[in-house]
Amino acid sequence: MFRPYADWLAATPLSKTLQDHLWIVPTSQSIHIVAVSVVFASACLINLRLLGVGFKGRSVSALSAALVPWMWRGLAVLLCTGLIQTIAEPVRQFVAPVFWAKMTMIVIVAAMTFYYARTVRRNAPRWDAASTRPAAGRVFAVLSTLLWVAIITCGRFIGYTWSLYA
Amino acid sequence: MSLTPLLAAVKAWPISAMVRGDLPGTEWLFPIIETLHVIALTFVFGSILMVDLRLLGIAARSIPVSRLTAEILPLTWIAWGAAAIFGSLLFISNATAYAGNLQFRLKFLCMLLAAVNMAIFHLGAFRRVALWDSGQPPLSARLAGALSLALWIGVVFFGRWTGFTMT
Repeated sequence: MFRPYADWLAATPLSKTLQDHLWIVPTSQSIHIVAVSVVFASACLINLRLLGVGFKGRSVSALSAALVPWMWRGLAVLLCTGLIQTIAEPVRQFVAPVFWAKMTMIVIVAAMTFYYARTVRRNAPRWDAASTRPAAGRVFAVLSTLLWVAIITCGRFIGYTWSLYA
Repeated sequence: MSLTPLLAAVKAWPISAMVRGDLPGTEWLFPIIETLHVIALTFVFGSILMVDLRLLGIAARSIPVSRLTAEILPLTWIAWGAAAIFGSLLFISNATAYAGNLQFRLKFLCMLLAAVNMAIFHLGAFRRVALWDSGQPPLSARLAGALSLALWIGVVFFGRWTGFTMT
């Protein structure tokens, strides 16, 4: 369905330039993994804290306020490197169902994280005391961890499955 | 002394053939194990990055270094153990080729140097952490943080490039 767009993009001068320099895609992917590490590790620490595992020395609001900005910075790098990889190899991305699953889940988890961070910022005392913390915190922790794991899995599987659809 | 016969023997193990996808029903084993390796290594690198940035005085300056390391590094070790197990499975699937791959060797050189750097830091600056726990880390600690950051970025880069040069 998206194949014509991929073929058009692959024929653009920008895509040709990125394809011609063989070091660009692997380098972009390496930076992509570095940024994934920043986002994923930050998400894990916040989610472990919400589930009551570790980091008791820091309040939920302080930990979130420290780590969520790093997640946005990491996501910005992921967007840039992901864009480079998509322009360089559009067919590989556009024909793979896991690519679209990944994009959908990124939108969902980013919206969830934005909403979570805003809620905690506005109701810090309520979220910092374990006794008054909304149950939604645990739901967010489990869901966002599962989504990030699924996103990384889909990302890795683009390379293994796209040729089945091309 | 040559390691080649040993590596060839490892590659011939049934479990190596399974990871390679040579046995019926194991075609997707390699991608699955590689994905688990990536999930584990992103946590390893991300959590080390947090400690390194604290040592460099860039992030988490309000948290004592000793508390940050006590909270994060046990989790880092668990994830590293997982990454090492999954990574070993990937290695045995094609032991001879990985062992001879330049990028793969450079990755492990970086990890070895990161280990040496970590040992020097723990036996040196970190022993006196009480003196600088809440403030700006001393030059030797900042240097350890910068070196760790550079070496682990090297591990990630050479790891990714191994995949590109193995075909």
